[in-house]
Amino acid sequence: MRNTVDMVDDPEYEEEEEPSFSDPEDFVDDVEDEELLEDILREKPQETDGIDSVVVVDNVPQVGPERLEKLKNVIHKIFSKFGKITTEFYPEADGTTKGYIFLEYSSPNQALEAVKNADGYKLDKQHTFRVNLFTDFDKYMNISDEWDPPAKQPFKDFGNMRHWIEDPDCRDQYSVIYEAGERTAIFANDAKEPILAEERARWTETYVRWSPKGTYLATFHQRGIALWGGEKFKQIQRFSHQGVSLIDFSPCERYVVTFSPLMDTKEDPQAIIIWDILTGQKKRGFHCESSAHWPIFKWSHDGKFFARMTQDTLSIYETPSMGLLDKKSLKINGIKDFSWSPGDNIIAFWVPEDKDIPARVTLMQMPSRQEIRVRNLFNVVDCKLHWQRNGDYLCVKVDRTPKGTQGVVTNFEIFRMREKQVPVDVVEMKESIIAFAWEPNGSKFAVLHGESPRINASFYHVKNNGKIELIKMFDKQQANSIFWSPQGQFMVLAGLRSMNGALAFVDTSDCTMMNIAEHYMASDVEWDPTGRYVVTSVSWWSHKVDNAYWVWTFQGRLLQKNNKDRFCQLLWRPRPPTLLSADQIKMIKKDLKKYSKTFEQKDRLSQSKASKELVDKRRTMLEDYRRYREEALKNYQEQKSMRLELRGGVDTDELDSNVDDWEEETIEFFCDEKIIALDDL
Amino acid sequence: MKPILLQGHERSITQIKYNREGDLLFSVAKDTVANAWYSVNGERLGTYNGHTGAVWCVDCDWDTKNVLTGSADNSCRLWDCETGKQLALLNTSSAVRTCGFDFSGNIIMFSTDKQMGYQCYLNFFDLRDPQQIEDNNPYLSVPCNESKITSAVWGPLGEFVIAGHENGEISQFSAKSGEALKKVKEHTKQINDIQSSVDLTMVITASKDNSAKLFDSTSLENIKTFRTERPVNSAAISPIKDHVVMGGGQEAMDVTTTSTRIGKFEARFFHAAYEEEFGRVKGHFGPINCVAFHPDGKSYSSGGEDGYVRIHYFDPQYFDFELEA
Repeated sequence: MRNTVDMVDDPEYEEEEEPSFSDPEDFVDDVEDEELLEDILREKPQETDGIDSVVVVDNVPQVGPERLEKLKNVIHKIFSKFGKITTEFYPEADGTTKGYIFLEYSSPNQALEAVKNADGYKLDKQHTFRVNLFTDFDKYMNISDEWDPPAKQPFKDFGNMRHWIEDPDCRDQYSVIYEAGERTAIFANDAKEPILAEERARWTETYVRWSPKGTYLATFHQRGIALWGGEKFKQIQRFSHQGVSLIDFSPCERYVVTFSPLMDTKEDPQAIIIWDILTGQKKRGFHCESSAHWPIFKWSHDGKFFARMTQDTLSIYETPSMGLLDKKSLKINGIKDFSWSPGDNIIAFWVPEDKDIPARVTLMQMPSRQEIRVRNLFNVVDCKLHWQRNGDYLCVKVDRTPKGTQGVVTNFEIFRMREKQVPVDVVEMKESIIAFAWEPNGSKFAVLHGESPRINASFYHVKNNGKIELIKMFDKQQANSIFWSPQGQFMVLAGLRSMNGALAFVDTSDCTMMNIAEHYMASDVEWDPTGRYVVTSVSWWSHKVDNAYWVWTFQGRLLQKNNKDRFCQLLWRPRPPTLLSADQIKMIKKDLKKYSKTFEQKDRLSQSKASKELVDKRRTMLEDYRRYREEALKNYQEQKSMRLELRGGVDTDELDSNVDDWEEETIEFFCDEKIIALDDL
Repeated sequence: MKPILLQGHERSITQIKYNREGDLLFSVAKDTVANAWYSVNGERLGTYNGHTGAVWCVDCDWDTKNVLTGSADNSCRLWDCETGKQLALLNTSSAVRTCGFDFSGNIIMFSTDKQMGYQCYLNFFDLRDPQQIEDNNPYLSVPCNESKITSAVWGPLGEFVIAGHENGEISQFSAKSGEALKKVKEHTKQINDIQSSVDLTMVITASKDNSAKLFDSTSLENIKTFRTERPVNSAAISPIKDHVVMGGGQEAMDVTTTSTRIGKFEARFFHAAYEEEFGRVKGHFGPINCVAFHPDGKSYSSGGEDGYVRIHYFDPQYFDFELEA
């Protein structure tokens, strides 16, 4: 073994030039630090970091040294909830604490939490904490004395935003998207044929939505959404939200909520944004994990509140402040689903079974948070909440596995909202439920149940005497969806998509089938807001051929078939609620005969005008055509000699020009077919 | 009306044609077979055997002496109508798409497809000159450089041929010089069929753009347009009334996604002057590929993708029917 100490360089190793690892002479570094180290730089300590984590608590009891320790413990207990307190400072003067203290947390977020939650905390009768960020003092003290009044925005007159309601013939409008999304058009619905109001190419990139009262049309674009309205559909407002995919309006049309899966960072929640429609301002942004059940935020019927459900929590916010109601969310363990009553500020929610506690449905009044009604349910698998449109009834569809059985049965728990103490009646259903729908302004509901091909449609009436009566059941129906007229009484049972578009028009006042028809491969059914017309359509999004929308009367009489190249979607424009009082409506109904006389006259006039127009058009077309044929015939006759020449003198102008050529023949005609098996012979 | 069903083909019908007097109906199909039937009772007269590929077109001369067929086996054949004997075989370099006798029955034309490097040609042979047939040497061969010819008929006096092209154009080619006399573009997609009125003064074109149009044969002026929501495969003009009949369907691959309930493929009747549809006849199990009126206008026939030819005799109501005007 060689002595390692005296080892010399291996003579056989040749010194090679080590490659140079430095940049070439003229290299200019063009990669910014921000790009390379973005995430690291974000955590670079800022000069103000320390200050950002400091909060000032005011209205702290002024105590002497003997009670200081106790005070500090109390403060600690309250404020360590929001994070780790790294430093605390209790300034003193004249032997007692001054009444305000400074607390430093380990991060600015914790300080924010403290401000959010502890501000307003009542320690005792005389001391309510005021908590603020230390940096806020600086900010507010440094407000400039000079105040620049905001520049006056020029008034944009969009004209009469309710123009379409003033149509003298009361035609409702609807939007149509066709040519696979390239063209969007607005039509006024007339029984004879649609009247085009507006048509634009590439108005929207995906689809459109109307606002709940019909004032705005929202279109989608890569950069956000735009709202259009007024007589000429001018652009009213624009909201920038990159990659927006879903929107929702508040019922009062004051706010619009947009969702984009792209824009969400930890510091600045941007997935869901709530905008004020009139000013165009962004009111608040929220995080969102998934858009699975849009709308994530559900609005109360008057737009005063909106709420969302997250794990074990129900967060209710109020407008216009956009802040949490009572500054805190409701903790509801296991909450599975909730919804607002469409008529009152009541939330219904349900929680599943938890060990010994049965599943239950709760009705809670807002903003008082008073529980109006709680209903316990046993052996529950799932619940679905169905409100009647006026909030008069709530139906909870409960799927349960009764003890000792394997199968799932369904109960409808009907909550009578208008009666004292909200009594609940139960309807048991023996078969699996395919669809359920309340009559919008009445007390009936329709259920589709059973398994294909034996699907039954049942109609129930929730009576005042506490009973729920089965009015009628139609069996062997080809239906998978229920569409009530928005005015009630009439409805369509439809077998959409896989059921090939079977349609049944029902009058529920006596549960009769007014008409049974079909729109092959129909994918959608839409009632107009007045309940006079129904549109069935075959959307290009679900079926690539025969894209069209058909217009029917509410009784099921087919009025029009409108084929549109690659038709995608039709949406009726909603109407704002009526301005007439209940008394006025009664008066009009009483005098209806008087009004209908004038309307019928008008209809007859327009009908005859149309047929007269048609007849005139046809007459002109026929005359032109005849004239053309006469000319052609004249030329034809002039060429007769040439024809004779070409056919060797044989006159073939008429079929019977050459009777001499005819022969007599006997022809056999096939009459009957008899099959005789040879064995029998 | 109860139709007579002709079952003589195993694959889809490509064309049907009546002879001038209407007693015979010829049908050709993709199964290489060409049939001749008695139109009065549906009895088959006979078959013209010889083609080895799908037969695309058929025509009969004015005297019902000769029958002309064109096929995807790259040949155009002349037959004796009564005996079925093959009289002439004209080989071509690509499939023969359309063929026809002129008014006199002496000159035949046929067009070949643009395939496998070969151009689309419109060829003319004079049957009075047997040398042309023997040498397979047409007296006129017109190359069609732009859009290929998909359908063609002779003009009124054998002076020109009216051709429909793949791009929707209609043109007139002189039978003497081969010059393109006129060209119009009214349709936006391929012309599937052209048929003349019985006096040859008008032609009706059926196009994949879901419409059929009526043109004046000489001026190529677009007189009328008939619109539907499906591609129109064939159209014909009634000899006695101001009616046209149209048959169509959709691309074969879309067939199963539309209403395929039995017999739902319909022939549609339009009023020629008002351009309005007034009737439909169901019955075919697949798209209709060809329609034709009987020369006396009392019946019409249709051949479909389902391989059936249906002959319909009109009820008395059809002749009395009038649209309010």
